[in-house]
Amino acid sequence: MIKSTIKTVAAAAMMAGLALPASAADPGPTITQIQERGSLLCTSHNGSYLGFAEVDDDGKWSGFDIEMCKALATAILGNPEALQLIPVSWAQRFPALQSGDIDVIIKVTGWTMSRDTELGLQYSRPYFIGPTNILVRSDLGATTPEDLEGGVFCINAGTSIERIVADYMGARGITYEALNFEKAEELRAALYAGRCDALAGFGPFLAATRFNAPDPEGFTILDAVLALEPEGIAAREGDDGFIDVINWMMSALLMAEENGITQANVDDIRANPPSASVERLLGASPGVGERLGLSDDWAYNMIKAVGNYGEIYDRTVGEGSVYKLPRGKNHLWSNGGLLYPLVLD
Amino acid sequence: MQRIIRNRRARGYLIQAVVLAASLLLTLSFILTARDNLVSQGIATGFGFLERSTGWPINFSIVEVTDRSPYSRMLLAGFLNTIIVGLAGLAGATCVGLIVGLMRVSSNLILNVLGTVFVETFRNVPLILQVIFWYAIFTHLPSPRGAIDLAGFGFLSNRGLMIATPSWSSWDLLILVVVIIATIVAARRFGGDRLLTKWGIGVAAVVALATALLFFGHDPDTPLISRPELKGLRFVGGATIKPEFSALLIAIMVFGGAYIGEIVRGGFLSVDKGRLEAARALGLSTTQINRFIRVPLAIRAMLPALTNQYVWLMKATTLGIAIGYPDYFMVVSTSINQSGQTMELLLLLMVGFLIINYTISGSMNWINSRLAIKGRS
Repeated sequence: MIKSTIKTVAAAAMMAGLALPASAADPGPTITQIQERGSLLCTSHNGSYLGFAEVDDDGKWSGFDIEMCKALATAILGNPEALQLIPVSWAQRFPALQSGDIDVIIKVTGWTMSRDTELGLQYSRPYFIGPTNILVRSDLGATTPEDLEGGVFCINAGTSIERIVADYMGARGITYEALNFEKAEELRAALYAGRCDALAGFGPFLAATRFNAPDPEGFTILDAVLALEPEGIAAREGDDGFIDVINWMMSALLMAEENGITQANVDDIRANPPSASVERLLGASPGVGERLGLSDDWAYNMIKAVGNYGEIYDRTVGEGSVYKLPRGKNHLWSNGGLLYPLVLD
Repeated sequence: MQRIIRNRRARGYLIQAVVLAASLLLTLSFILTARDNLVSQGIATGFGFLERSTGWPINFSIVEVTDRSPYSRMLLAGFLNTIIVGLAGLAGATCVGLIVGLMRVSSNLILNVLGTVFVETFRNVPLILQVIFWYAIFTHLPSPRGAIDLAGFGFLSNRGLMIATPSWSSWDLLILVVVIIATIVAARRFGGDRLLTKWGIGVAAVVALATALLFFGHDPDTPLISRPELKGLRFVGGATIKPEFSALLIAIMVFGGAYIGEIVRGGFLSVDKGRLEAARALGLSTTQINRFIRVPLAIRAMLPALTNQYVWLMKATTLGIAIGYPDYFMVVSTSINQSGQTMELLLLLMVGFLIINYTISGSMNWINSRLAIKGRS
């Protein structure tokens, strides 16, 4: 069923490619569809995935992934509200994309080989680097994993975290005791009760664990990164124009941060651009939109609506939010992170 | 042919053979279908994974395992963990049950009420709730840095009970266990009827040997008594009883004790009043009546129900997974997640529990047949 859908989509994409020789202004089938519909169909969650897709009592969505959906909607349609958020579970996200219920998956989706090759997905550049971190009790005074010599680590049983911790600690000769639990609730309870000194896991999960603690100040996330999982934005395979837009959207958000362009000062900088590339980025001189099949002021609209990458991060999961997740590898390369903009020529 | 079918006996064998062949064929077809499906999905089968290293450790085991140990050794460690907590739980539940059962048949009103309250409380709360309840109590003890000092014997904290232990090597311990068993056998066989003298001699001999081993057998560089000491985040030295183990053990003891208490009570109540009256008429004292008439008859009545209860409690150790006790079930479950060898591991899980429970019911049946009154079924 899914396979045949993939084939149909792929065939349609190829036919479209053959019939219309690639022109600079052709944005590809997905974007054309989004523009005709007047809204972007993006993923949210069945419930709240804290920090990334949260829903409040009024049914209003917020979070890092939701902001990314808004950025993409603004880039394509010029309006952050031109967005329909479809709640899908982790398991539903791939079939929902294949069947056309959603246009794009922005849902902390790890870039793995089987998904990339067997599920018919096409990934953007990573928009979030998912770290495996350690959350410790602050009263231990630990700042590095080495300080946890001999400590007890709570770990989710049967996950890759078990192996990641064993490898990391083994390679550094740090002895530790692994206490494994099947369920997230039991893990958290054991940490809060002090049965374990530390909890190892996916960084954002740890941030939410700390936020939900009876005394959030009593817990600290160490800077050390045990392993990384790159999270990408996934679209249906074969629509290169759409992937281009997503990649350049990411790039524009990062370029804005690198050049100090924020939601607050974007108008001033557009009126008085410091360099030729910033001038192009904000559409003060033409080029950035036409080549993607969008308007020239898409990046300006986007930054005006949601801010740059750093602002989105701080607002949803970082220092400006309740979770206080350190930027870590999600910083720009110039600040010790792994993120960088592409070259806008 | 006609004659064979007419022959009742031959007909019986024929039907049995056909049924046997059919069920064998059915089983074989299940196995082959499963294997075909696994192969077509590209899922590896077979037991080769048992030799691969696991890459993940567990925090409690009596044989040494690390994240580099193969699956076979990890499974062995889990199996032994199940046996340890199970046997300790059965022994504890039997002691609790004996006391509670005696309280319930006692004519003392206070004891009677206490016993009834115990049984009605712990029998009516699901075992998993009790496990989580005890675990919550143990994990809310102070942290290692604020551990409760047990006057030199050890420390109590939310990492468990740390106790000072004599520095016997594992060989010393093995020798001691062998000597203790030999002493018990010898004391039962020889030494006549003077109970106090023969057991006194036995205990004195074991204690003397243990002291001698401690003084002459231990590594000269280590102290005679290994005491737990706070070093960084943990206690080093001595022995540690982890809260996961304690919580599971106590839950099984208390829950099982409530059931066994009722079995014990039933056993005592089943003893025919006429026999007790007859014993009294013969002039036996109360102690003699209990020792020679009441208890032996009660035990005979208890054994079959007790076997059931033991097998049931042994299976209840699998609740350890809820509080992170790495028993056989939890190790198998994690191995399934990590290696993907679901069928093989489930088979090993079943075989493991069959071995444990057949052993329990087999030995209980043996004891039962030894104790049964001769000439009666």
